[in-house]
Amino acid sequence: MTHAAPTRPRRVSPEEVLARLGQPDAMVKAKVQDRIDDYSRYFIAHSPFLTMATADAAGRADCSPRGDYPGFVKILDEHTVALPDRPGNKIADSFRNLAENDGVGLCFFVPGMREVLRVNGSGYVTDEPDVLVRMRTEAKQPELAIVVEVAEAYFHCGRALIRSRLWDPASQALAEGMPTVGEIAAAQFGADVDTALLEQTLEEGYRKLY
Amino acid sequence: MNQPTHQPTPQPARPPIHQPTPQSARPPVAPPTPQPTHPPMQQTVVERIDQVAEDVVALTLRAAAGGQLGPWDPGAHIDLSLPNWLTRQYSLCGDPADRHAYRIAVRHDPLSRGGSEYVHRFLRPGRALDVSVPRNHFPLLPAPRYLFLAGGIGITPLLPMLRTAAAAQLPAILVYAGPSATSMPFADELRRSYGDQVRIVETKRRGRPDFDALAATLDADTRVYCCGPATMLAAAEAAFPAELLHAERFQPVTRTFGPDTAFEAVCARSGTTVAVPSDESLLDALAHAGHPLPSGCREGVCGSCEVTVLDGAPEHRDDIGAPKDRMYPCVSRALSPQLTLDL
Repeated sequence: MTHAAPTRPRRVSPEEVLARLGQPDAMVKAKVQDRIDDYSRYFIAHSPFLTMATADAAGRADCSPRGDYPGFVKILDEHTVALPDRPGNKIADSFRNLAENDGVGLCFFVPGMREVLRVNGSGYVTDEPDVLVRMRTEAKQPELAIVVEVAEAYFHCGRALIRSRLWDPASQALAEGMPTVGEIAAAQFGADVDTALLEQTLEEGYRKLY
Repeated sequence: MNQPTHQPTPQPARPPIHQPTPQSARPPVAPPTPQPTHPPMQQTVVERIDQVAEDVVALTLRAAAGGQLGPWDPGAHIDLSLPNWLTRQYSLCGDPADRHAYRIAVRHDPLSRGGSEYVHRFLRPGRALDVSVPRNHFPLLPAPRYLFLAGGIGITPLLPMLRTAAAAQLPAILVYAGPSATSMPFADELRRSYGDQVRIVETKRRGRPDFDALAATLDADTRVYCCGPATMLAAAEAAFPAELLHAERFQPVTRTFGPDTAFEAVCARSGTTVAVPSDESLLDALAHAGHPLPSGCREGVCGSCEVTVLDGAPEHRDDIGAPKDRMYPCVSRALSPQLTLDL
């Protein structure tokens, strides 16, 4: 495409979308659990990474990554999980959103596993000591955690991860095609920024993970 | 759960009660490995998971491919490298004569960070697990008689000690306290094997064991070994003479130290000098400078990151009681502006 389209791409109505995709079959509906069952528990215990979606009162959405050692999300009971607030998590956005709108969507990943676990529910912020103490790493304990009361939990099929070759080690070569983060930041902050210094600062920051 | 680790009380430099194992008695065929030596890892397979009390499972870890595992003496522990990247320390509670399998017991801590929870909820027989060779911060020293004091899961290092003392026909008493018999691993087995030598104290029914009464009738040549929760260790420290008491604790003691200050670590073998900022541990600073060390608890309890100090004054903040010229860089820092390490 050499020119920007003069108009936005055509908008398809929800009715038409449904008509084109068809209704989900009964088995797909049946896989949706209203709680963290044993299999979801296994998945969460082995997951070092997830994405968390929240939205503000107006519905403006945000999605952010969370990662730590496998099982960093604690299962408090079959209806409740808790996520630690680690520094550098851009958590303020999620906190601000949760204050206005408690809807949360989580997508858990296990490296090497093609299926994904999706957990939806409502969230709030806690400083409960018995929750935080379970999240202690390297002798540091988070000050806050997000509690998610689970409404839905289900496994999402592996097609997206198969197609994306996400766990194929060869896929990591894609990063070589990217500009460095220093270049990106320099371009986004303005012309007078020292790229090397930015990269050095970023690497320094990455040394302190907790 | 944290591994029991003995308090930083000076230990008499006497040999453990066991004879040196044939392996350590063999002349070395290779030149001695440079210090610090870190326990190499061994491959095992989870053979059995047995429920041995409420909230306690015993794991039998068999050497992979039918091989032998590193030798150990009573009081030793291993690092267990769990699939969720956590490393946890557990005392060996099986038979040292069995060179093909280790046995450990793990209590499910309701406030688990993921170690004991993983063992209880997600580990399955057949899973491959890497474990360290055993290390011993709590050796059984020779004595004509013993008194063993166990609190709950603190029974684990004392089990092989009692077995060793009994095999040597030395008088030994075990006082084993726990809330109730159902929560106390190996209680039945101990009663069956050792009869009157074992006193089970169910604290919910009978209160805590009376250490003062025990101390009053103690022969002066008895060595007292205590492993249990902090309250029990404190009671033992109050009741028994320090020179007779050997204690191992589960959690690091809360203590206060001077403010963290920056210092330099000179790595003697590589010739590099590493700046350690005030907000970074020596362990992390070394890792970032290209000297990664093994680490486990990262709170001065397990001893995985031990390093040899050639010069300078370390500020020891660990709960192990660093041997002479050694330190644990996960928590310990420096009193002098510079430390020279054997790295």
